[in-house]
Amino acid sequence: MERTPLQSILLYLAIITTAGIILFPIYWLFITALASTDELSSLPPTFIPRDPDWAIFSRVLTERPIFLWLFNSTIVALGSVILSMIVSVLAGYGLSRFRVRGGQSLGLFILTAKMLPATLLVIPLFAVFRNIGMIGSLWTVIIAHSTLIIPFTTWMLKGYFDTIPRELEQAAMVDGCGPMAAMMRVVLPISTPGLAATALYAFVLSWADYAYARTFLQGAQTNWTANMGIASMRGEYTTDWNEISAAAVFVATPIMLIYLFLERYLVGGLTAGAEK
Amino acid sequence: MAKKLGLDLARPSQQHLLGYILLAPAVLLVAAIIIYPLIISVDLSLQNVKMPRIGAARKPVTLGNYEKLFTSPEFWMACWVTLKLVVTVTLGSLIAGISTALLVNNKFRGRKIARVAMALPWAVPEVIAVVIFAWIFDSSFGFMSWLFIKLGLTDQMIKWISTPGAAFWALSITMIWKGFPFVSIMTLAGLQSIPADFYAAAKVDGASAVQRFRWITLPLLMPILGVTLVLVTLWVFRDFSIIKVLTGGGPLKSTQTLSIMTYDQAFGFFKFGYASAVGVITLIICVIASMLMLGRSPKTL
Repeated sequence: MERTPLQSILLYLAIITTAGIILFPIYWLFITALASTDELSSLPPTFIPRDPDWAIFSRVLTERPIFLWLFNSTIVALGSVILSMIVSVLAGYGLSRFRVRGGQSLGLFILTAKMLPATLLVIPLFAVFRNIGMIGSLWTVIIAHSTLIIPFTTWMLKGYFDTIPRELEQAAMVDGCGPMAAMMRVVLPISTPGLAATALYAFVLSWADYAYARTFLQGAQTNWTANMGIASMRGEYTTDWNEISAAAVFVATPIMLIYLFLERYLVGGLTAGAEK
Repeated sequence: MAKKLGLDLARPSQQHLLGYILLAPAVLLVAAIIIYPLIISVDLSLQNVKMPRIGAARKPVTLGNYEKLFTSPEFWMACWVTLKLVVTVTLGSLIAGISTALLVNNKFRGRKIARVAMALPWAVPEVIAVVIFAWIFDSSFGFMSWLFIKLGLTDQMIKWISTPGAAFWALSITMIWKGFPFVSIMTLAGLQSIPADFYAAAKVDGASAVQRFRWITLPLLMPILGVTLVLVTLWVFRDFSIIKVLTGGGPLKSTQTLSIMTYDQAFGFFKFGYASAVGVITLIICVIASMLMLGRSPKTL
């Protein structure tokens, strides 16, 4: 479509303004971490700190167990990814290759999983985990996350396996492979991009959770996840905005970087299942 | 070469069995972590229990929790807050999401970067989004109050988080900022699946840009927008982190949705039976609402 120069300028103007409004809060987070205490408690607000206080990042690391929180979040996310991937690779492959009764209702099941309020599910899960003495253990969160992730990852993987021609496995089976060996040795190796995208999506879902971690781990401070740690820094009456913003930068940056570099894969996960 | 088991799964007649075996772990895990707890929830909601202990003697079945619920003004207030929030945030996210998607769907230099940038809030964890907006809406030195004064909308700092009406708007804006990129991503995916030929053909027939949008883009986008609408609605319905960390449901319960009420009754007041009743009702509302919405746009999902 041809545009006049005026239209081009207007388009760029609109895009820059919109992007500016959308990205402003993220910019503000960094500025708040770097600004001096005086600059934070004055109006008009400081848009560019005169003397950025980079030391805040090392200071917050010594004052709060940020690395421990990040470590716990990583363990939970990796555990959830591994568990949900093992289970959903099997299920996705089964749904893609074999006629299974009830397999068609998977889409409906995913929607149901989306409808479940976390706050309803945590009540009985808390009761169950408490009765078997698991409250406070990272395993509770890993099990809960992976189960909630499985419907989505299964759906994504089934879609991916559907695109791989069956002739490949049939050829392997003619050569003497069993059906499982054909899957492990032929289908999985060429599915690496699909597996990676699915795992990435699962990682981001787990990393973002607050409800399950808060319910199961509140009493076990050494097992707090990053989101719990940050939430605990927001005081009821006063909050140290320099400190909490610097800590938030540590938690938000890994996920934002993953998104910036691997956006294509994550978007595939988001839209999978919606446009069939 | 794999060893042949007694059960020869390679034989076509037994292959469907392998399908079930592959699905078994997923089904078992979902049954243990989603279905079984749901049954416990319904069961708890029918008993007068404070802290449930499995193995303890079952309390008699009673509808007391539901009776108490339907006569409690707090519950109706939470319903009203939920409805207001769902409508505001869904509408805001749809408008912002669709317009940003249409904007970056134009061809221009740097459009890839613009696309990624505009959906960046999607990658920010909800708790972090709350930290950002809690400071923006701060009552003493917040950016938003300063902006409002600058624009002449008010002449003093607004106590966003501690005034009922203002807290609702602060919450809505935070949720829209976090929720619109999803709409944007879905809309873009939908826009890209429309064949360019359609537009070319319409142009040959002399259709204007507005007509092309009205008669090609919009109808072809409808199915994906229908699903998106349902997903965004459900997200607002179920949200816990943003509300809990930003306002905690306050002030004066003005931002307490059904989801927050469920949590607080259980883990704030230790009324697990009553909390489960609230949760079960929330789930029923979610199911009915999405069935109504999906019914309007069939053949999606």
